Amino acid sequence: MKAGLLLLVIAGVMVAQNLPDVLKQGESVFNKTCATGYCHGARGAAGGAPRIAARGFDQSFINNTVQRGVPSTAMPAFGTALSRADLTAVVAYVASLNGVASPTIVANRGGPPSPPVTRLTGDAARGRDLFSDAVRSFGRCSTCHEIGGIGIPVAITIAKVPADPAALKALATPQVSTATVGSDSMPALMLGKKSNAVIFYDLTTAPPVLRTESPSAVQTSDGSNWRHARVIGSYTDAELSAILSYLRTVVKP
Amino acid sequence: MRFLAFLLAVSALSAQDAGVTHADWPHYGGTQFSWRYSALDQVNTSNVKNLLPAWIFQTGDYTENLGSTPLVVDGVMYLVSAGARVFALDAAKGTLIWQYRYPTARPGIAGSHSDFIQNRGVAVGDGKVFFGTKDNFVVALDQKTGHEAWKVSVDDPKQCGCNITAAPLIVKDKVIVGGNGGDQAHRGYLTAFYTKTGRVAWRWYVVPAPGEKGNETWKGDSWRYGGGAPWLTGSFDPDLNLVYWGTGNAASDFYDADRVASGANKSRDVNLYTASVVALDADTGKLRWHFQEVPDDVWDYDSAYEVLLMDRQIRGQMRKILVHMNKSGLTFVLDRVTGEFLSSFNVPEIFNWISGVTEDGKLVGRNEPELGKTKNFCPSTAGAKSWNSTAYSPRTGLLYVPALELCMDITSNDSKPSEGRFYMNGDFPSRLPPNRATYSHVDAWDPVTGKRVWSVPYKYILLSSMLATAGDLVFTGDPEGNFFALDARSGNKLWNFQTGAGHRGSAISYAVNGRQYIAATTGWQQTLVGGAIVGVFPEESFRAGSTLVVFALPEGSR
Repeated sequence: MKAGLLLLVIAGVMVAQNLPDVLKQGESVFNKTCATGYCHGARGAAGGAPRIAARGFDQSFINNTVQRGVPSTAMPAFGTALSRADLTAVVAYVASLNGVASPTIVANRGGPPSPPVTRLTGDAARGRDLFSDAVRSFGRCSTCHEIGGIGIPVAITIAKVPADPAALKALATPQVSTATVGSDSMPALMLGKKSNAVIFYDLTTAPPVLRTESPSAVQTSDGSNWRHARVIGSYTDAELSAILSYLRTVVKP
Repeated sequence: MRFLAFLLAVSALSAQDAGVTHADWPHYGGTQFSWRYSALDQVNTSNVKNLLPAWIFQTGDYTENLGSTPLVVDGVMYLVSAGARVFALDAAKGTLIWQYRYPTARPGIAGSHSDFIQNRGVAVGDGKVFFGTKDNFVVALDQKTGHEAWKVSVDDPKQCGCNITAAPLIVKDKVIVGGNGGDQAHRGYLTAFYTKTGRVAWRWYVVPAPGEKGNETWKGDSWRYGGGAPWLTGSFDPDLNLVYWGTGNAASDFYDADRVASGANKSRDVNLYTASVVALDADTGKLRWHFQEVPDDVWDYDSAYEVLLMDRQIRGQMRKILVHMNKSGLTFVLDRVTGEFLSSFNVPEIFNWISGVTEDGKLVGRNEPELGKTKNFCPSTAGAKSWNSTAYSPRTGLLYVPALELCMDITSNDSKPSEGRFYMNGDFPSRLPPNRATYSHVDAWDPVTGKRVWSVPYKYILLSSMLATAGDLVFTGDPEGNFFALDARSGNKLWNFQTGAGHRGSAISYAVNGRQYIAATTGWQQTLVGGAIVGVFPEESFRAGSTLVVFALPEGSR
């Protein structure tokens, strides 16, 4: 069933196992994350932050520093920001810059486990790019939906993927109600009502606005004139189909 | 000489009301004209020696320094710390009225701009206090209670790697905010929200999309990640209904072959509208005019800095002008109605990136980075001035500039972009220029004649904004912790106070019940320019902190 659309590769298969591969991965992580001119520069030799190549650092010092950061300096803690495999690799790479001949490359403690790598192809890959396409500004799906860490989680997690673009446009949204503040009525996604505050998203325009109002200032009623079709107008039907292909690969029922 | 000064004062009167602050300090730049000038003159050249601390406020947020501009409205001070704690204080006593803590920001891309912790200030208007966040939200608080009124996401930090560090600008019924990220694979923009509801009013992209005028100045698809983020705060002229903003450098910073067609004429309008001053219609965000200061910016001399609006006599005619300095130190004087180039002057003593500027404002003798080579350039990307602001006094007609003398070694590369990641394509470590004992100076420049009237050298570098007052004083602070006052007409140092930590923020002046106060933000910046400078002066230890020190003349001595 449409298996040709995607190819799933499990993380364990992808993680580099031998030292040259780990160092290569570490160099790639370093270049993307640490080597900007504001920070340590290429090969850790030049930049706004201190030189970290050829300093005689040992691997446990490097590991601690990368994981915890250096308080009161620009060095952030990467212990939770990078995956375990990336942490191991970048620590090994910086150790190699400091003349450590055979850095340890067993999986590092700390850091979240590497997420399963989902390799997407064809429509699904195109759909993923369209989902968060920055050129569409606030007209992209990720303005309101978060998937795989990308996007702003305004809407609840997508649990069921509509069959086609027509169904996506006709999506029933009973959770959207109508809030009235003074003379201003707006489609609203209610988050909570407390004794001293009503918190809801105003969906009048994209991006949605998180409003906090005192209960006496807001009147609410069920239903709204909000329609999903109206907020996905930056996409053609073909593009919506691609996005649905993407959702089918990542949304687990 | 006195006569000349008098004439200048008179000629500046027409814009004076719009440019000066009185008891309040209502906007980031003092007023929407961004002069950082207070009409208060209780503290003056003869009594400034008696200034003493009236109260001190410690934010308790020591994740980074206090680099913001406090605002004062009706005797209440609004102050934001680097980690987005917002405080309302009794501006006469320093007692806390309310405080608000922004929750832990959603993480962005590791190793991108969204890692840096910084906040340059709040905006106050429409009964609310507005600020931007590390994870790209604009938040509106109730001005009386500090409770959240609304909050809106401007962009996803996990995707853009960007953040908001600038103070927003209130323009009529809107709050306008710029963002960081222009050194990354990102396409910069300004966004305006209605103050009342938080609903978006308009967005203007610095880099035009296909089909829009200016997109033809970009090679291929490079516009998508063209940078240009307007990362500071603009100005507003209500008579012209125009918003003025400086835009950032093009990305990638130090290598242009992927964004500029080979053989392109680099004398004007390359990679629009990066490294430019733009005038936008305040209601619609539509571009009215632009002036690009650094066509094909391959040095990261972005033009995002403050825009000073003033009316001055030029060649016998009163003109509505703006004065705008970019990182290179080249300072442009433009007609702010039309964008017409009027003149320019160059602030740093040491520069080698161009040989000069033509009479119609074009750069001459470009000296560019070369792929795979290391070349020395002056000034450095820290700027001939950093983002901390200049000040302008209508009494002296002078612009007060904290000028730097730094160079850098650029080694450029041709790596390819990845959305939201740094896209600078080069290393650029700072270097001290040879044969100097001092590396910065406070200058007074006449923007109309382009002449430096006085200059006071300083050993290290000055990264704090200037404050000018009608007492003919100019205040600023240094990295060693000194907060000091200079005579606005001569540059003579009249007063100095050791505050205990370096200065990287912006001092203001205000009054409560007839008493004039001067508030200084302290704490040396540990990241970005402040952090990088530690590498240039390794023997020094410029101290961090996050404390506001407020000065006044002793009660009864006035």
